[in-house]
Amino acid sequence: MKKYTYIIGLFLVSTFGSCTKFVDYNPQEDYQITADNYFKTAEDYHKMAIGVYSPMQWLWSIPVIGEVASDNSVSGGENATDNIALQQIDDYQIVANNSNLTEIWKACYEGINRANYLEENKAKLDFTGKNALYGEVYFLRAYYYFELVKMFGGVPLFTNKRLSVGDSNKFQRATKAQVYAQIEIDLTAAIAALPVSNSQQGRATKHAAQALLGKVYLYQDKFTDAAAMLENVVTGPFSLATNYGTIFLQAGENGSESVFEVQYSNLSPFYDWSNPGRGQGNLAVQICGIRNLTGTSPYASGWSTNLPTANLAAAFDAGDTRKAVTVLDIEAYKTANAGMNITYTVAPYKNTGLYNQKYLPRVGQTSGQVELNYLNNYRAIRYADVLLMAAEANNRMAAPNDVKALLYLNRVRDRAFGDILHRSTATGTALKTAIWDERRLELGMEGHRFFDLVRTGQAASKITGWVANKNEVFPIPQAEVDISGLTQNPGYN
Amino acid sequence: MKFRFTLFCVGLLMACFIQQAAAQTLQVSGTVKSKSTAEPLAGATVSAVGTAQATQTDAKGNFTLSISKGSTLSISYTGFKSYKYVVNQAGTIQVSLEDLNTLMNEVVVVGYGTQKITKISGAISTVKGADIERLKPVRAEDALQGRASGVTVVSTGSPGAKPTVLIRGIPSYTGTDPVVVVDGSIQSLDDLNSINAADIESVNVLKDAATTAIYGVKGGNGVIVVTTKSGKKNQKTELNYSSNLGSQQVLNTIGVLNASEYGAMLNEGSVASGGAILFPNLSTLGVGTNWQDQIFKNAGLASHSLTARGGSDNMAYFVSGAYTGQGGIVGGADKSYFNRYNATANLNVDLSKRLKATVNTSFVNIRSAGVPENAINSVISNALNFDPTVPVYNTVANTYGKYSVSNTILSEIYNPLTQLDDTHNQYNTNKTYGKFELQYQLLKNLKVTSRYGYTNTDVTGKAFTPLSFYGTGHINSTLNADGTTKVGAHNNVYEVKTSYYNYTLENFANYNFNINTDHHFETVFGMAMAKVTGNSVSGSRQDVPFNSWAFADISSATGTAPNSGLDVGSYQYERRNLSYFTRIDYDYKDKYLASFSARRDGSYAFGTNNKFGNFFAGSLGWVVSDEDFFKVNFIDYLKLRGSFGITGNENVSPQFQRISTLTYAYGSGQNAGYTFGNDPTSIGATIASFKNEDLGWEKQQQLNAGFDLNFANSKFSLTADYFEKQISGLLFTPSLSLYLGTASAPTANIGTTKTSGFDLNLGYNNAVGKNWKVSSNLTFTAAKNEVTETNNGLITGGGYGIPYQSVTRFEKGQSPGYFYGFKTVGIFQNAAEIAGAPTQANAVPGDIRFADINGDGLISDLDRTKIGDPFPTFTMGWSLNLTYKAFDFNTFIYASVGNDIYRAYERNLAMTNKYRGVLARWTGEGSTNDPRNPRYSFTDANQNTRVSDRYVEDGSFLKIKDVQLGYTLPNTTLKRLGVSKVRLYAQVKNAFVFTKYSGFDPEISGGIFDTGIDRGAYPQARTWSFGLDVKF
Repeated sequence: MKKYTYIIGLFLVSTFGSCTKFVDYNPQEDYQITADNYFKTAEDYHKMAIGVYSPMQWLWSIPVIGEVASDNSVSGGENATDNIALQQIDDYQIVANNSNLTEIWKACYEGINRANYLEENKAKLDFTGKNALYGEVYFLRAYYYFELVKMFGGVPLFTNKRLSVGDSNKFQRATKAQVYAQIEIDLTAAIAALPVSNSQQGRATKHAAQALLGKVYLYQDKFTDAAAMLENVVTGPFSLATNYGTIFLQAGENGSESVFEVQYSNLSPFYDWSNPGRGQGNLAVQICGIRNLTGTSPYASGWSTNLPTANLAAAFDAGDTRKAVTVLDIEAYKTANAGMNITYTVAPYKNTGLYNQKYLPRVGQTSGQVELNYLNNYRAIRYADVLLMAAEANNRMAAPNDVKALLYLNRVRDRAFGDILHRSTATGTALKTAIWDERRLELGMEGHRFFDLVRTGQAASKITGWVANKNEVFPIPQAEVDISGLTQNPGYN
Repeated sequence: MKFRFTLFCVGLLMACFIQQAAAQTLQVSGTVKSKSTAEPLAGATVSAVGTAQATQTDAKGNFTLSISKGSTLSISYTGFKSYKYVVNQAGTIQVSLEDLNTLMNEVVVVGYGTQKITKISGAISTVKGADIERLKPVRAEDALQGRASGVTVVSTGSPGAKPTVLIRGIPSYTGTDPVVVVDGSIQSLDDLNSINAADIESVNVLKDAATTAIYGVKGGNGVIVVTTKSGKKNQKTELNYSSNLGSQQVLNTIGVLNASEYGAMLNEGSVASGGAILFPNLSTLGVGTNWQDQIFKNAGLASHSLTARGGSDNMAYFVSGAYTGQGGIVGGADKSYFNRYNATANLNVDLSKRLKATVNTSFVNIRSAGVPENAINSVISNALNFDPTVPVYNTVANTYGKYSVSNTILSEIYNPLTQLDDTHNQYNTNKTYGKFELQYQLLKNLKVTSRYGYTNTDVTGKAFTPLSFYGTGHINSTLNADGTTKVGAHNNVYEVKTSYYNYTLENFANYNFNINTDHHFETVFGMAMAKVTGNSVSGSRQDVPFNSWAFADISSATGTAPNSGLDVGSYQYERRNLSYFTRIDYDYKDKYLASFSARRDGSYAFGTNNKFGNFFAGSLGWVVSDEDFFKVNFIDYLKLRGSFGITGNENVSPQFQRISTLTYAYGSGQNAGYTFGNDPTSIGATIASFKNEDLGWEKQQQLNAGFDLNFANSKFSLTADYFEKQISGLLFTPSLSLYLGTASAPTANIGTTKTSGFDLNLGYNNAVGKNWKVSSNLTFTAAKNEVTETNNGLITGGGYGIPYQSVTRFEKGQSPGYFYGFKTVGIFQNAAEIAGAPTQANAVPGDIRFADINGDGLISDLDRTKIGDPFPTFTMGWSLNLTYKAFDFNTFIYASVGNDIYRAYERNLAMTNKYRGVLARWTGEGSTNDPRNPRYSFTDANQNTRVSDRYVEDGSFLKIKDVQLGYTLPNTTLKRLGVSKVRLYAQVKNAFVFTKYSGFDPEISGGIFDTGIDRGAYPQARTWSFGLDVKF
């Protein structure tokens, strides 16, 4: 009898004592890779750095907004409620829960958090190429913050670690100056660390960082700094493409004029309609396509948004090769190419008859779910852009150098007209205006116009519906105001 | 009559008469039998009142006792009325004890112990083994439907498939299955497919917090306690054989168009949309083929069961073997079936005087196969939507296939007979479950139990998708008309092996004691460790030789396409729980009852800050009829009960900060890849999910108030309960700052729901005259559910169709799983009406007019609202058992009221067949204003087919679930055969259904989001059967 008591007693003690470890959980039991398994090898760092690039692809709508919000294009679409987020921006009836703006906000912060995660783990391991890799990371973080400050003004600023759930609702907006200061720090670090060239196309280079920093200076009216910084790029290994139109073809991607491009691809097709802009395809391409297009033209059909205005088309002088590249007059094109048997549906809403030729969807350039996987890179910083920025900086800096400014401006114009007969000879303020106008023509439909108009103080005179002291920036996403208690931008409450 | 318990009486009487002096001693011997069965009662207590003299009857019911002359002899046996008489002379007596109202004496299995039903102050429903055995259900839950109050069961017709089981409403969207405890071992509702009905002693359903809180985090959805039979000591072997053979058939078919009507409608639809007449000569079409007649077949249902129970001095056993085979009525028994073999051995052994061992072992083998069900591609959906103008068999020379094809329906829908021919699958399940239990009587009142319960399941499955021809140009065709393989098409064989192993190790002690004789305590405390594991490996390969099921195996397939046409996958999971529990039951003179239980539960799924949760419950009871002041003759017994407590639901998954290296993560919108230039995509990495260290359980507070009442000489018994449940901690995604980025936010315990309801059970039991016996039972179950908080989130659930349209939702302010869509208000009769109505894009006369719910003058998605609720307002069950001499008649009727059905089986392609309702369509101004019947056209610019109440029907029903007529052979005949009892019976299950629903069967089971959506659900069959029960 005693022995049974003993056995059972022992049993009870052993099981009661078997402590709470039994209900602990280690994700490795489920073969899940977690943060604990990472940053053990150089490859882990490289993979994480690739992940920092991805959210740039989700920012497809910034260039679209940059045009729709300006005098260059209208929202279009099927009707007044189709693509409502773009309609609001076009009509200057912007409300803070705008889905495109919210997505931009989230995507930029995802990029920043991904970069910060590398920052957080920087000290864990040393490996060859670490310095250059972190150069890319800092470049990307600056890129994201710059997009944010451009769109929203001062935003919450953090750099030391990836935020977690506990950090929700802990940050308020930094000032615009603070954000710019951080961008400058990051880009300066990136310039120091990055190589001049990289074996993989599309990775950030020293010149990309210099160009971006020059642009950042320009946005702050630091013209002297901008001129100096951009000069590094002007004298860099770039050249203007002979034929303007080829820049926007697949063959022209990452070409001689490319300083930095957001890489899109159709090699990893996806089909997630609940997050249509978060794959590797460029959704901006699909949305600007011609409706129900058939025939043998090189173009594929799309959703007729972001339609160039007649005003933009009329801005081009006769003989400017950029006009046909920038705006496609579909009726004229159809007539001129009768053999293609083109049919299409006239844009049902806000039709201009014109389309964004640079980024029109093209046959054979997508895969899988065709709407979501267009491969067209976004030409974020072109050499021509750098030349015009440098021209502007030289013209506007404290000690102007209009000779250099003219030189850079005319390099762009020469290429546009294919001759030297259209050179500008303006100086001073006239030159400044000429450069600004040139930016519209050279960079039309590439997403710069709205930001240029705001930056140069021309928005009020050029954009219908634009209100000063309000529309310089877009509203902070309403959800962020509600959840995190951020101060809304003036005029959007 | 006042009711007394044996022990209690004996105790009292002892106290009273202890002073009486002993006088002359007489020897009395005798036999104790049951009055109703005339069988000897072993173990009955025989005592001299007021003395210490007592004995027990032996296996044959015999006893001998010396007793003083003039003293009172008491003979008592649990469940029988005690017998007393004053002994004045020695000799032999024959005593037949009268059965008590069994309900009053019943012992109910509760968590970690048993309780006399009279001492229970919580809410429990009980279904007895006899009722279950009589019904012969394939799954035990079928026997709960309408028999256990507070339980809502929505059955399915698919052989062996799991029904929807709700105990007291719908607390959550994360899963509503109650936990199932089989002989103390924790299992799941899915496991109820494996229990042989003849093995079940009883099923108790624990409903309120007082009874479920001891199961803590598993108890939130209620607990089904299944007790299987065991042997009795010192009992000679009792053999039971029962057999039931039947045939199943479909009850009704759905009205679809015949070929002529179909032709006429298509002509109309084509012309209305600007097309040509499609069938210029309607008169040649005739009635065509009704495909429902082709797919529904009579299918067999058979069960055989042999059980034996008995015992010797120190052991008792119950062994059984059984076979249950159910064929499916869709396509017949060779296409869908559920065949089960059971073998069970339950042994109780006294290892020593104090140590007892129980070993229960059941082995189950299930072989099953199925056909596509309740979806657009189901066999039934194909039968309802396929072209009625084509003949059954292929008559086109030199084309592939046994059955004909449609040349006009080119997507999704095809010949259901070809589909049945092409459906090949089989699943084999081997399952062993049971328990090892040691009980040690440490002290007289202290019992220590250690129990290891386990379930081991191995499932092997195989399915084959052959190449097939469904018509030239049909998108599903993988063969050309001439039988050659289409470019890029392959057949495919899929194999899967899945194993589950679950165990629960429990150690607990039961200690019962009295204070001052009137204060009775029963206590239990202990701990439990539970682990649930599963793993699966599956693979498929293309190119099976001869395109034949006979050769379908990965080893014989010859696929060469990328990766040799191979595709493999695997998964595994594990859940662990650690728990401590206790319960104290107290009563004072059996009159004032109180119970308290507590459980501390840890789950591996909970966040690190919330590993353990505590659950408490208490209940009070008062047997009013035992009070001296209570003098209502009509009422024999009245007990008031009340309980309150907290239980949980651990339907959460552990969370962690996951690193994703996926190029794209669907749903979460994450990608971590990037393509540099034209290099193949570089694989990146990123944090894809956050974790919530505070994650915990869904918490349920439940209040219960009820009473038990016996009246009219205990012929009637009434149990009624009202409950209120407040559920909090439902998982929803919290609102986090957007600047945290896009990594998936972890779910948090945010949502709340509220459920209240009412359960009632009214029983009647009486013998009328010498030959008649009547017993009847009525149950009533009602529950009202409301979602009260979701963090502004909502969960969209089930839907249907191509393109997919979502119907059900879990949303704040609504009942869970309600139907969401447009309300219709009629049909536009003319252009003026359209102009005068809220703007409805593209409407023309004859189109459905939708309601402008938000009043903004525009019909848009914002006008969608509640259009139905798939769950019944209340359900009722009524059973009647009549016995006249050797004949018995049993019937069971079940009714469900207020459950809506969404009719979703129509494919709505131009060329697919239509529901007959289309014949009453709008044909011109004034023809009809019924929004169910808009004009018919191939084009539907107004989206008449959008989710609306047009498709919602009242699914209330009354089903005669069971009718049985039995005859028990007279004893005289049997004795010569050495048989003690033979009963023959005829049975009809699902004899009649009374419902307004136009489909096959108003019972559409599924999860919370799929219940009530009829996409072509498998209907329950009517079963005619004959059976035989023999007792040796």
